[in-house]
Amino acid sequence: MNKNVVVGKTGLSQGLQLCKVCSHYSEQITDPTHCPTCLNKISLRKKNSLQKTWALLITAIIFIIPANLYPITYLLKNSTLYPDTIFSGILSLVDSGMPGIALIVFVASIVVPLLKIIALAVIAFSVQNEWNLDPKKQLIAFYLIDWIGKWSVLDLFVISIMVAVFDKGHLLSIYPGLAATSFTLVVIATLSAANSFDTRLIWDAQTDE
Amino acid sequence: MVSHTPNMPTGYEAKCTRCNSVIYKKSCFDPAGLLALCIAALIIIIPAFYFPLISIHLLGITEETNLLQGALMMVDSAPVVAFMVLFCAVIAPTLLISSIALSSACFTFNYHPRYLPDILKSTGFLKRWSMLEVYMVSLMVAVFKIMNYADLYFGIGFYFFITLLLLDLIIISNYSNQLYWEKYLNE
Repeated sequence: MNKNVVVGKTGLSQGLQLCKVCSHYSEQITDPTHCPTCLNKISLRKKNSLQKTWALLITAIIFIIPANLYPITYLLKNSTLYPDTIFSGILSLVDSGMPGIALIVFVASIVVPLLKIIALAVIAFSVQNEWNLDPKKQLIAFYLIDWIGKWSVLDLFVISIMVAVFDKGHLLSIYPGLAATSFTLVVIATLSAANSFDTRLIWDAQTDE
Repeated sequence: MVSHTPNMPTGYEAKCTRCNSVIYKKSCFDPAGLLALCIAALIIIIPAFYFPLISIHLLGITEETNLLQGALMMVDSAPVVAFMVLFCAVIAPTLLISSIALSSACFTFNYHPRYLPDILKSTGFLKRWSMLEVYMVSLMVAVFKIMNYADLYFGIGFYFFITLLLLDLIIISNYSNQLYWEKYLNE
């Protein structure tokens, strides 16, 4: 495309930008807003990446509290309502002799969301305050949370199946509770937070090299 | 970091010198094969979503449940949850397979409509929200939970769903958004 491109130096220092849609690069000066190849929006780094990540992370932190405190499902059995939180549901799985299934649900609905929030917050903090943590370790952590992120939807799918199966009116029914909606918002917020974070910022924040 | 992508034989990957992530993967370009897989998947989708996944025998009644029912029953009590389940388990996979089918068809028959770049762009988005494999594991978790309460049998929909999941995984692993863009821009 042009002769001035130097391999082994960052695109940022050479004013080059990569299109996230079609993976073609172009120069910031000649095409400041749109990719010349596919005409989608383009910039040197994802715009307001840290702000968006923080906003979504804070949303997730707020909603994770009701998601764990309020009942996620109500079991209506013989006209009596039994509420179940995420944690009490896991405990009852252990009690009924299914530790394996309990572990899957525990990992998907408690460990994964918490781990995502903590890891993303640490990476975002270290980028912001130039902590100079090992960039490769940060990237591995990021890829890990990006990959496991979608597994936290597991509990929502399980609820949808249980609700459909137990539909016998006052005799035996299951209804979703307030926590189910909060948990959905946590999942959407963490998935979008990981998606709005630009991994190249990890290297931009490295001061000594 | 700017890297040079060399000419590689099919099946090789180019990695970033700084972070070691794959930046380019030379995979074989076979739109006709992908189109065939997508059409098969689109046919399977209808029975997989419509026929009962599981049926339970409880209180003297046998009741069957399919994939759509669960989400639709929550629309009133928890609309956000219902939408999320519908989107990730039904809408996104269907649209993803349709969009790959459409772009593959365009390349197979050498037809270049104006909306092709939009399809390629949305495919990248849909890929992240399509969660059929998560649904499969959820179904197994639910099956173990339900077995405590009632007798449970797998319906025909279950076998269609497994077939759909396998086709979906093969399609996703063979599809390369980057390669499709490259072909589109070169023609």
